[in-house]
Amino acid sequence: MTTSVTIDSVTKRFGDTTAVDAVSFDIAKGEFFTLLGSSGCGKTTLLRMIAGFMRQTSGHIRFGGKVIDSVPPHQRNTGMVFQNYAIFPHLTVFDNIAYGLRARRRGKAEIEREVRRMLDLVRLGHLAHRRPRELSGGQQQRVVLARAMVIQPDVLLMDEPLSNLDTEMRMHLRSEIRSLQRQVGVTTIYVTHDQEEALLMSDRIAVMSRGRVEQLDVPHRIYAEPRTLFVAGFIGENNLLPGAVLGRAADGSAIIELAGGGRLRAASAAAEDGRACIVSIRPQDIDIGDAARLPAGDEPALGGTVDDIQFLGGAVKLVVDIGVDRPLTVSLPGRRDMAMPTIGSALRLSVPAHAVRIFNPEAGA
Amino acid sequence: MSTATRRDPTGRLGAALGHLFDFWPMVTVAALVVTTALLLLPVYNIVGLSFSGAEAGRSLFDNYAMFFSEPYYYRSLINSFIVSISATILALLVGIPAAYFVSRYNLWARSLIKTVVVLTFVSPPFIGSYSWVILLGRSGVLTRFFAEFGIALPSIYGAPGIIFVFTLQYFPFVFLLVSSGLKSIDQSVEDAARNLGSGEFATFVKVIAPLLLPSITTAGLLVFVAAFTDLGTPLILGEKFRVLPLLIYGEFVNDFGGEPVLASTLSVLLLAVTTAALLLQRWLSARFSHATTAIRPLTLQEPRPLKRILAASYVYLLMAIAVLPLANIVISSFLKANGPVLTAELSLDNYRRIAGTVSRPLWNTILFTSTATLACAVAGTLIAYIIVRRPGRISALLDTIVMFSYAVPGIVLGVGLVVTYHYPPFALTGTALILIMAYFIRRLPFSVRASVSALQQLSRDTEEASVNLGAGPAATFARVTVPLLSMAILSGVLLTWSNTIRELSATLILQSGSTATVSIEIFNEVVNGNFGVASALGSILILLTFLPLILLFTLMGKNEEALV
Repeated sequence: MTTSVTIDSVTKRFGDTTAVDAVSFDIAKGEFFTLLGSSGCGKTTLLRMIAGFMRQTSGHIRFGGKVIDSVPPHQRNTGMVFQNYAIFPHLTVFDNIAYGLRARRRGKAEIEREVRRMLDLVRLGHLAHRRPRELSGGQQQRVVLARAMVIQPDVLLMDEPLSNLDTEMRMHLRSEIRSLQRQVGVTTIYVTHDQEEALLMSDRIAVMSRGRVEQLDVPHRIYAEPRTLFVAGFIGENNLLPGAVLGRAADGSAIIELAGGGRLRAASAAAEDGRACIVSIRPQDIDIGDAARLPAGDEPALGGTVDDIQFLGGAVKLVVDIGVDRPLTVSLPGRRDMAMPTIGSALRLSVPAHAVRIFNPEAGA
Repeated sequence: MSTATRRDPTGRLGAALGHLFDFWPMVTVAALVVTTALLLLPVYNIVGLSFSGAEAGRSLFDNYAMFFSEPYYYRSLINSFIVSISATILALLVGIPAAYFVSRYNLWARSLIKTVVVLTFVSPPFIGSYSWVILLGRSGVLTRFFAEFGIALPSIYGAPGIIFVFTLQYFPFVFLLVSSGLKSIDQSVEDAARNLGSGEFATFVKVIAPLLLPSITTAGLLVFVAAFTDLGTPLILGEKFRVLPLLIYGEFVNDFGGEPVLASTLSVLLLAVTTAALLLQRWLSARFSHATTAIRPLTLQEPRPLKRILAASYVYLLMAIAVLPLANIVISSFLKANGPVLTAELSLDNYRRIAGTVSRPLWNTILFTSTATLACAVAGTLIAYIIVRRPGRISALLDTIVMFSYAVPGIVLGVGLVVTYHYPPFALTGTALILIMAYFIRRLPFSVRASVSALQQLSRDTEEASVNLGAGPAATFARVTVPLLSMAILSGVLLTWSNTIRELSATLILQSGSTATVSIEIFNEVVNGNFGVASALGSILILLTFLPLILLFTLMGKNEEALV
């Protein structure tokens, strides 16, 4: 039966380096949970500890409340899907899928029935007696998926299962894995470095960096409300600009002066006056206006000149010089009859206060 | 949380003891016990015996002092160095150009050349020696032939003869290693040198040869060790010229029944030299390793006709000389023999004469070889798995012990095993078991090395997938690892078989009449001057050696470089 998983301040050290640093979280029964991060962030190490291939230096892992730290990997009842398939090359498709059932000494009739059911589920029934080398990469990965699911694992573990496939097959298998997982309802821990994959497939995502969980949330909040500078820079395209908090406006929002002199408002209560900070703004959250019509009074203003225009069809990207070494990227929806700026023209940029997020510069990126 | 961080000492100890009876810890302990019993203990015992002077009330170094003060003894060490170093240099001089020509020039019959190299390489060294006696001995075929024209050929006996036979016997080491070294050099390297203005010879000396240094030094040291430890050739050709292995054998036979103190002392000296040579080889190949892999290996050239003819003549002449002793054995086995003199009359006489007596040694040979080979395959794969998949201090120790077995010459191992297992409760001397033990431990490092390199190429994920699906460590090894390694294991089995079947030096020490092998029978017939019978037995042994290799090359698609 599928189960919940608890990671309780798990740490893994290799000599002097800490690969996983006091990570804790709970995964609900039936959840599709993703560990997202670039290589070396500790996500695969964590997954391998859950599978039991390595033992954590400290902390505990629980399946359904039961500590499984000293359960050897072959008794953990997890189904794992590997990046390079790890298909058994000497066994047929059928025997690959039946492997786990045979290790569990199930009856012949049951094995036949269960493997058939799985083959149909991944639509490989016609290839049951082929050898792995006769299959395409996508087919091999579906065999491995079926092999991991047929044992009705407590937890399904996937280590970058799609990264060796071509783009088209990847797109296709993403939705296939997701719909299979929903049908079967198995708790799934999915490791990937592909944020698009993570955002698309997951119920919740843990963004990892240097062995720590930077942020754990549902996909749309990870995107819209990054809590750390790392997440702001890692997920999606973002402008990260140095600046300082000047003071507070009447409505309580912070007034920020960017390096280069531009000012804007941020709907953040946390920032202290006079503090240096890093500001993140998504390119699509910036509106452009005519530089001639400057706002009246003390309304903060941000202006710049267009350095480059990148027409991408569905969107138009403007590279805008705002007086600092790193230019600002503005993304405009590519609509019919849109007014296309010209290179060198001056622009007034406005950003809604709630689209501006402020981070501590020390936090590192 | 608080209960989790608290340590429970009895629980930890219990867990550790519990893990001891897991599959891999048990295999590790067994491997350590077996290698200790078959290798470390025998070596420890001969070292102990060599220092036993103190027990007799003399100096601890008494035996060594005697060795280095008596010319009869220390002269043999010098002789060993003379023949081994000369053979090494000659083998390099002969082998490097041959390998270069065959690898680079589009010579005729290249695959035939490679077959000859393989034949020479795997043929039993002592067979080559006595074959040369048939050809160039005092009443040798060629000696008498040239004597009729008044030409006196140089003697095959003594140092020059030994060096000559060693060179021919061991140049294939150089040929095979240099050929495989040449394969790892990218064509662009040569092109660049030529483009910058070097001629072919200058390119070889300045660019190709330095890149080949790891292969050349390895080959050189392997030739040296093989020549330094060979017993059969000096036994047949040495006459009054004594080398160290010969002395060990002589002293061992003299001391038999008593403690082979002197044989042990000489063995320790021999072991010291081979160990030093192999350590030097490891250090040199690490130092000179350029770790290049060729994307586009050196291509085959079409040299100018004169160059091609000269290169071809050199290679063909070398191959003709190398294959001559083997051809001679096979041919003379079908000639009517009159004592040591072979007549020109074709007959099956020799085979008829061995028909009644050959079955026992033949059966012994096949039984001992097959048992040792199977043991090697099983133990080699298990130990390789521990070394590759379970790294740690104990696994590194096991690796070192197994690799030490490379350094222990057959004759030294033979003496060590007798010293260790001669007395009750073992009393194994003269049994089949002690021979199988010797063959097993001698070939174990080769089996381990073959499985190690196959395992390193095997992704760990496949085994982890099996464990993840619920198969325990032993089941995973049996159902996934072994099937995936099966080709490597099988080719290891064929190589081990072919190498073990011709073993002579350890066998000479360890056999008794009832456990004599075909090698021993050949040796006895040679000593008794029955060259015809020896040739018939020799032909059978050559066939047995070569059969598994034919399987290896044809069915398994391996090439001759698998041999080194």
